[in-house]
Amino acid sequence: MWLPLLGLLIGISLGLLSDLQIPSVYSNYLSIAVLAALDTLFGGIRAHLQQVYDDKIFISGFFFNIILAASLAFLGVHLGVDLYLAAVFAFGVRLFQNIAIIRRILLTKWSERAEEKKRGEIEESQDVEKL
Amino acid sequence: MKIKSKVSIALMLVVSLVGFMLAVQYNSLNHQPAERDTRDIWAIRNEIAEQKQAQSELLKEIRDMDHTLYTYERAKSEDPEMALIETVDDLKKRAGFTSLTGPGIEIEIQPSPESIALGLPIETIPADLLTRFINDVNRMSGLIIEIDSKRYTILSAIRDINGVTTVNGLNVKNPPFTIKIVTETFEDSEKVYNYLLASPLHDDFYIDNLIIDIHEPSEQIELNGWTERVDMMYLQQLPKGDN
Repeated sequence: MWLPLLGLLIGISLGLLSDLQIPSVYSNYLSIAVLAALDTLFGGIRAHLQQVYDDKIFISGFFFNIILAASLAFLGVHLGVDLYLAAVFAFGVRLFQNIAIIRRILLTKWSERAEEKKRGEIEESQDVEKL
Repeated sequence: MKIKSKVSIALMLVVSLVGFMLAVQYNSLNHQPAERDTRDIWAIRNEIAEQKQAQSELLKEIRDMDHTLYTYERAKSEDPEMALIETVDDLKKRAGFTSLTGPGIEIEIQPSPESIALGLPIETIPADLLTRFINDVNRMSGLIIEIDSKRYTILSAIRDINGVTTVNGLNVKNPPFTIKIVTETFEDSEKVYNYLLASPLHDDFYIDNLIIDIHEPSEQIELNGWTERVDMMYLQQLPKGDN
């Protein structure tokens, strides 16, 4: 659990400390890449919670999505159509869906745990009464 | 356990990449290059000169106000009527009611020789050309202007009425006519003279078949006062004895 958080911290501090800047012309590409990365990330978390997680799919999806989104944006710029909006829309919708599924899974997990705890308490009290 | 750690490492890598990208994006969005000051030293000096001029004008205004205040203070103990008359005179002079003589230049607006040679009809000077001329000259402060014997005050209007250019509602003669400019000092007159000699106004006038003949500055230029009454639409006299 703490490893991804550590990774996030390392990534952010590396980015801020390196003081790396990209020209504003390319900031569109980067923002869409960030969106694609977030989408893949939440997809991975969801897959992990549903126990269908696959390392290869996750890693390949991560890079493939980023490249696809960036190339879509590139194509859009050269065609004069804001194609990157398509990517933003698709990733945005998927992001929301993934987060909703994650929320539901977590909620059912918590409620199950709470029920188990309750049952355990009742059984304990019954045992005490028996004694 | 092994699978889980593998997941965590992959996740960590991806998350750190996401964080890195976010940080770079943040960096690039928040460090837009500030607008560069590309003025060279002369442009900056020009600006300083302008500001200095504004400063000296303000100082002069303050000095004038101080003088008026001093006059009032003195009048309190001496003669209040004298102070008031002095103020009224001063205001009348500034509003352009009084005739005056001072250093200045005379400018004659004439039809161009080419238009005379071609036999073109001589028409009245266009109102917007005259306005342009006045605006251009008025960039120098402290000028008193008279157009074709009509005193140009802050309330004067240059208008085109039925194809005839008017100043203060009075027709301006067809060229040739004279414009007189009186300045505070003779040096100022020379400044205006030199400015007008090199001014692009000549070209503007030439388009309308007119030329500007600027006479050398002279010590004695006489200006008429504004003869009409000034209508005060919004100012009212207070009843006497009210405080």
